[in-house]
Amino acid sequence: MNRKEFLADCGKKGLAGVALSLFPWLESCSEKAQQEVKGEKARIGMIGTGSRGLYHIKNLLRMPNVEMVALCDDYRPHLENAAQYYPNAKLYDDYRKLLEDKSVDGVIVTTPLYLHGRITMDALRAGKRVFCEKSMAFTLDEALDVYNCRKEMNGVLLIGQQRLFDPKYARAMQMIHEGKIGKVVGVRNYWYRNNDWRREVPSPELERRINWRLYSEYSRGLMTELACHHLQNGSWAMGMLPEKVMGSGSLLHWNKDGRDVYDAVSAIFTYPNGVNMTFESIISNKHFGMGEQILGTEGTIDLVTCMRYTDEPAPKGSGMHQLVAQIENGVMSNSVFAGTSWAAETSSLAPGIPIMDNVTISTGESTVGAEADGSIEIMEAFVHAVITGKQPEKVLEESYYATQFALLADKAMHENAILTLDEKYRVPYEPMK
Amino acid sequence: MAEITFSQKNPAYPLMCASFRAMHTKVELLAVGVDDEKGRDLMQRAEAEVRRLERLLSCHDDASPLSALNSLAWEQSVEAEDELYMVLELCETFRRATYGYFDVTAMCSETDGVMSLAGGYSLDAKHHSVRFCRKGVKIDLGGFAKGYALDCIKRMSQQEGITQGVINFGNSSIAALGHHPYGEWWPIGIEHRMVKSALAQEVRLADSAMSISGRSEAGEYHIIDPHTGSRVAGEELILIEGRSALVCEVLSTALYAAPRAKRADIMSQYDGYRASEIVCRRDGTTECRVVGATVVEK
Ligand SMILES: NC(=O)c1ccc[n+]([C@@H]2O[C@H](COP(=O)([O-])OP(=O)(O)OC[C@H]3O[C@@H](n4cnc5c(N)ncnc54)[C@H](O)[C@@H]3O)[C@@H](O)[C@H]2O)c1
Repeated sequence: MNRKEFLADCGKKGLAGVALSLFPWLESCSEKAQQEVKGEKARIGMIGTGSRGLYHIKNLLRMPNVEMVALCDDYRPHLENAAQYYPNAKLYDDYRKLLEDKSVDGVIVTTPLYLHGRITMDALRAGKRVFCEKSMAFTLDEALDVYNCRKEMNGVLLIGQQRLFDPKYARAMQMIHEGKIGKVVGVRNYWYRNNDWRREVPSPELERRINWRLYSEYSRGLMTELACHHLQNGSWAMGMLPEKVMGSGSLLHWNKDGRDVYDAVSAIFTYPNGVNMTFESIISNKHFGMGEQILGTEGTIDLVTCMRYTDEPAPKGSGMHQLVAQIENGVMSNSVFAGTSWAAETSSLAPGIPIMDNVTISTGESTVGAEADGSIEIMEAFVHAVITGKQPEKVLEESYYATQFALLADKAMHENAILTLDEKYRVPYEPMK
Repeated sequence: MAEITFSQKNPAYPLMCASFRAMHTKVELLAVGVDDEKGRDLMQRAEAEVRRLERLLSCHDDASPLSALNSLAWEQSVEAEDELYMVLELCETFRRATYGYFDVTAMCSETDGVMSLAGGYSLDAKHHSVRFCRKGVKIDLGGFAKGYALDCIKRMSQQEGITQGVINFGNSSIAALGHHPYGEWWPIGIEHRMVKSALAQEVRLADSAMSISGRSEAGEYHIIDPHTGSRVAGEELILIEGRSALVCEVLSTALYAAPRAKRADIMSQYDGYRASEIVCRRDGTTECRVVGATVVEK
C-alpha cells in the first residue's frame, strides 16, 4: 500500500479528516493537492550528486512534475554520473553558482553533513525552496540558525527524515495515539550492521572526501547518520520531547583505519513522563539488524516489521487449544476463535497482527536508501512545496529536534555527562497527537 | 517449521495439534487418534503441500508461475501448467456464478464499467493458455488459495485415515473432519468483533467447512468490489458454511463484495451452502441474518 492508497483507505473509513489532521504534512498527496499542481513543473537543482543524490534522482525521474535544471558537485566523476540522467541540466562545480541560477526554484542538498547548514542557509537566502538530507546541521547552534533562517525568509525547508512520510509509520502512530497499545512506556531503537562502513576510494588522497562519514571534521558518525532517523519515534508517539540525554560511545572494532567517529554507541533519552527511549548502534555485529519498537502497557508496535503484538493474555488460549483441552478432559463445550484473522496468543512468540496489508519492510542494511520507506513520498511533498511555496506543517520541527537530540547525545558521549537541551535551542513544538 | 504437540492425556482419544506459518497466516491442524509417527508424517506432508501451493499460487513471489503469467499475459498468450490452468478455470467459473463478485483480477479493475461484463482474462482450453483482456490486469489468488489448500489438506488427511479433526487457516477458514469426540459436531465460535473472546455466533461443523470475510483485525477493508475497483467498506461479517472449504472461501468474498440485494441470488445457485450476515454491535450484542431468511436477534 502506498500513501495514496492509505489516504484513500482512510477516506473510505471516513477518517480522512482525522488522518490529515494528525499528519497534516501528508496533505500534499491528497487529491486536492495533486490537482493544485497538475501540469506545473518544479524546477530543481541538486547539490551533491553522490550516492544519495542518485537515489533521489531515480525517484525524481518518475515524477512528471519535476524538471531537473541544474546539478552541482565539486567531484567531477559524481557530477558526470548524475549528468547522464539529465543531459540538458546545467552543470556546476560551485554550489553558489547554482544558487545564482534564476531557473532553479528548488534545491536538493545531498552533500556530506558538515555542509548541510551552510548550503541550506545560502539557498534559503537566495530565495530557493530547499530539501536537505538529514541531519539538519552539524552543530546545535547551526541547527538553530538554519531553523531561524527558514523562518526569517519565510521559505520552504524539508529535511530528509523520510519516515515522517512513510504510510506504515503514519498508520502505526495513529494506532498508538488511539491507545491501541495502551500507555507508551518505552521506545527502543537499534541499528546493527557488520561492515566497516567504508566506501571504496579510487586514490588515497580522496579518502576523507569519499569516506567523510568516518571523520568528525565532516560528520558526527552513527548519531547523525543513523540515530537521527529513529529519534523522532519517541516524540511522535508521545507528543513530547526528551528532558535529558546520556550516552556512551567507543571506537570498538574498526579502530585501525584512522577514523575518529565512534563505531559503537548507546544513548538514553528520558522524557518528562519518565519514559526512556534508547538508541544503540554497533557496526561489528548485525544479528538483530534494525529495530524501532514502541512499547505500551497493552501491546507493542514494531515499526520496522510493521507488526502489532498484544500483551493482553487471551484467557482461553487459541481456539485449537480450547478444543484440545476439551477432548483431553472428555467434554464438549463452546470454543471461540473464528473471525477474520487469528487471535494473538499469550506467549512471547505470539503472532503479531500486521499494522496494514501489503507493506514493504526494510532491513536497514543499505547505506543508500531502502525501498518504500517514505523517500518517494517526501520527495513528492517537496516537489509539491516547490510549486506551491507552502511549508508543510510540523515536519520541520520534528526533524529539527531529531537532529538536536542526535547532536546532544553525541555531545553527552564525548563529555561523559547527562545533558539537557539548552532553553535557547527550544523552538515552538506542536505535538502530533 | 511446524510446531507439533501430542497428547495422550485422554487415553481414549490421543491427539496431535500442530501449526506452521504459511500463506501469510497460521495453519493449525488438530487430528484425533493419531500416533507420533503418523502424525509427524501427515504434518510434514501437509506443510509441504501448502508450501507447494503457496509457490504455485502466489503473486507476490517473483519466481512463481503466476508472477510470470502476470507480467507476460497482456503481451502474449501464456501457457499455464495443468494445475494453475485448472485453478484459473475454476476461478472463471466462480466469477460467472457469482455475478462477477468473485474476481481474482479485481485488484486492477478499471471503473469504466467493462468489468461487470467480462473477467480480466480469457482461457484457451486447447493450448492451456491464458491471455489478459486488458492492460494492467493482475491475477491475485489471495481469495482462493486458502480454501483450495484447505480442501487439499482435508483430502490428504482423510486418505491417511483421519476421521476426526479440524484444520484451521488463520481462524477465517476452517474445515472439519468428522465430529468432536464428545458431540455430534465441532463447535466453532465466531468471536465478537467488539468484545474480545465473547461469542457472536456458533457454527457447528461436521464433515464440513466454513469461511468468514470482513474487515481484517487490523482494521483494513481488503476486499475489492470488482465492479467498481474500490474497497468494500462493510462492517458486517459474512459467514459461509458448507461442504467444500474452497466454495465457502469463494462465496464469503463474493458475498461481502456484493450488495445485500444480490446475495440471495448468488446463494440460490449453491445447494447445501448457507450464508449469514453477522453484525457485531458496540454494546456486545449481535445480529445474525441468514441470507434469504428473516432476522434472528441474539
Ligand atoms: N535519508 C536517508 O535515508 C539517507 C540515506 C543515505 C544518505 N543520506 C544523506 O545524504 C547525504 C549524502 O550522503 P551520500 O551517501 O550520498 O554521500 P556521498 O559522499 O556519496 O555524496 C555526497 C556528494 O556531495 C559532494 N560534495 C561534497 N562537497 C561538495 C561541495 N562543496 N559542493 C558540491 N558537492 C559537494 C561529494 O562530491 C559527493 O558526490 C548525507 O547527509 C547523508 O546523511 C540520507
